Amino acid sequence: MSGLRVALPAGVLLDDACDLLGAAGVARIDPRRFDDALMIQDQHNVYIKVRPTDVPVYVEMGAGDCGIVGKDVLWETQRELYELVDLRFGSCRLVLAAPSGSPLAYGEAVSPLRVATKYPRSARRFFAERAQPVELIRLHGSVELAPATGLADAVLDITATGRTLRANNLVEVAQANVSTARFVANQAALKTRTELIGAVATALRRAAEARPASQGAA
Amino acid sequence: MAAVEAKGAVTPAQRRASGFTDWLPGQARRRRDLAGTIIATFESWGYGLLDTPLVELLETVAAGIDSDQQAELFRFADSDGAMLALVAERTVSVARVVASHLAGGPYPLRLCYSGPVLRNAALLGGRRREAMQAGCELVGSDSLSADAECIALAACALRESGVHSVQIDVGHADFIPGLLESAGLDSAVQASVLASLARRDLVAVEEALERTDFAGAERRLVLAFPTLRGGPGILEAAAEDVRGERPRRALEQLGLLWDLLVAHGIDDSVQLDLGAVRDWDYYTGPIFEVFARDSGFPLGSGGRYDRLLQRFGLPEPATGFVLHIDRCYDTVSRRGGDAAAASALRIAWNSHAHADALRLASTLRALGVACHCNLTAGDDVTADARVDAGVVRYRKSDEAREASLEEAAADIAGTLG
Repeated sequence: MSGLRVALPAGVLLDDACDLLGAAGVARIDPRRFDDALMIQDQHNVYIKVRPTDVPVYVEMGAGDCGIVGKDVLWETQRELYELVDLRFGSCRLVLAAPSGSPLAYGEAVSPLRVATKYPRSARRFFAERAQPVELIRLHGSVELAPATGLADAVLDITATGRTLRANNLVEVAQANVSTARFVANQAALKTRTELIGAVATALRRAAEARPASQGAA
Repeated sequence: MAAVEAKGAVTPAQRRASGFTDWLPGQARRRRDLAGTIIATFESWGYGLLDTPLVELLETVAAGIDSDQQAELFRFADSDGAMLALVAERTVSVARVVASHLAGGPYPLRLCYSGPVLRNAALLGGRRREAMQAGCELVGSDSLSADAECIALAACALRESGVHSVQIDVGHADFIPGLLESAGLDSAVQASVLASLARRDLVAVEEALERTDFAGAERRLVLAFPTLRGGPGILEAAAEDVRGERPRRALEQLGLLWDLLVAHGIDDSVQLDLGAVRDWDYYTGPIFEVFARDSGFPLGSGGRYDRLLQRFGLPEPATGFVLHIDRCYDTVSRRGGDAAAASALRIAWNSHAHADALRLASTLRALGVACHCNLTAGDDVTADARVDAGVVRYRKSDEAREASLEEAAADIAGTLG
């Protein structure tokens, strides 16, 4: 029987994902090998490197049997896949942040509130739970610029260390959610290849629980 | 499949609604044949074919799907103001027909259907908005024999249609809800665990349980749930850890169901799955999903839904299943390659032989040979058969032959002595 096809996220999670696969005894993969090839095969499995937001797509459609992806990516998708293990690395928080000195930063209500975000689904949920009227502006990058340029009153964005927020004179107003990396599996693969995927899940869980929690970059 | 060729700009008149598919000759035939094989199998098990409309009242359609899916209905208003929807699945339509036209029985009723279903799903997700489904409903029996029959029939229909390495996952909709209830968890936690399970988010299940005093063997069962799969041995193992009457009854039913599946001779393709995750409000007993190695999505699913008919005023138990024809098609064609377009024999004719050519064609069709005549006269050497003055020239076994109409037809059809 052939091995699994495992989707790994390019970017900040890749090094830690490869580390954890190594610590779990699943695979020894030097992430730099992905500089030359998007697909790496060892004696058991095939590892593919894809954009983080594409990991759920590959796994749901069955092009990947399983994969590693940040919970923040899963918030924004409506994909039918199994979320099996909290891998405890790549931790970051989704926060509402406003320019320091702005009314919002002082805890005053601003209505209607204009918020720029790369996380529209999470943002809709966050403000709906608080019954806060909001105008959401979806951006694809450099969200921190939005308050500085008058595009929005605040941002709802991911932060790991708070450095980027501080560098842009933003202060955290509220925490919306917390994210870590997750091990996910295709629904059919989990049912038809239970032992293979279960073994990887168990090994990753043990390795993740044995390691101190790490922080992602930025 | 033909390579993608640039064919110049598509004119406005040639555009197609996004998310829908044209099935070209060959593909369309194979897809229809697949549906035909499946329906024929259903009928050979005594299930009567039922056709229901593509459009139903919105409230009827809504009875069969969860709220996320309700947001994805194609809906519109009738001229009298009634809200309508294109059907997103067909079990509710069958339930409506049973409750209105067939309520008198005789029970159990065995019904089957096939037809398109539509969902206004987000584009570019790799999911088609129109899909062909075929399914069976067995109404009026609460016995496990009925559940076993449905599972065996689903397996049989897929096998007949050429889907190999089928694996059927059989679980029970009441096992995990019963386990949570009998462990004395408060109802809010139960609801949140079930909602997380339905989303397949096991990390959230773990988090929800961590905040409770739900401890010991039953907690281990819930957390181990993706791997609670296997033969009847897992039922005994689970029974040792389960105290509540509700989950024990579910285990007992699965044990009896397993014996019936052995009797149907399909136990080698069945796995018992205590962690089977489905819509908890809809299903009430045994549930199942059908997988194949070549498909990342289930090819079919089903189970016992004893509460649905009540909504239409008929308190009858029921069980049934649906097969996703297009996913089966994808699975079969990915392995076997696309079917070529049906080839038809082409008949050419000279100016006075049109009637002879037409007669040859109808004789051939009667013998089961697909054919058509050229629409204009002419000695067309590329044709498969040429008719002139009562004589047919054609090729067979790599040699040129010449014969009368009747002899040629019999020779071409392979029915000659």
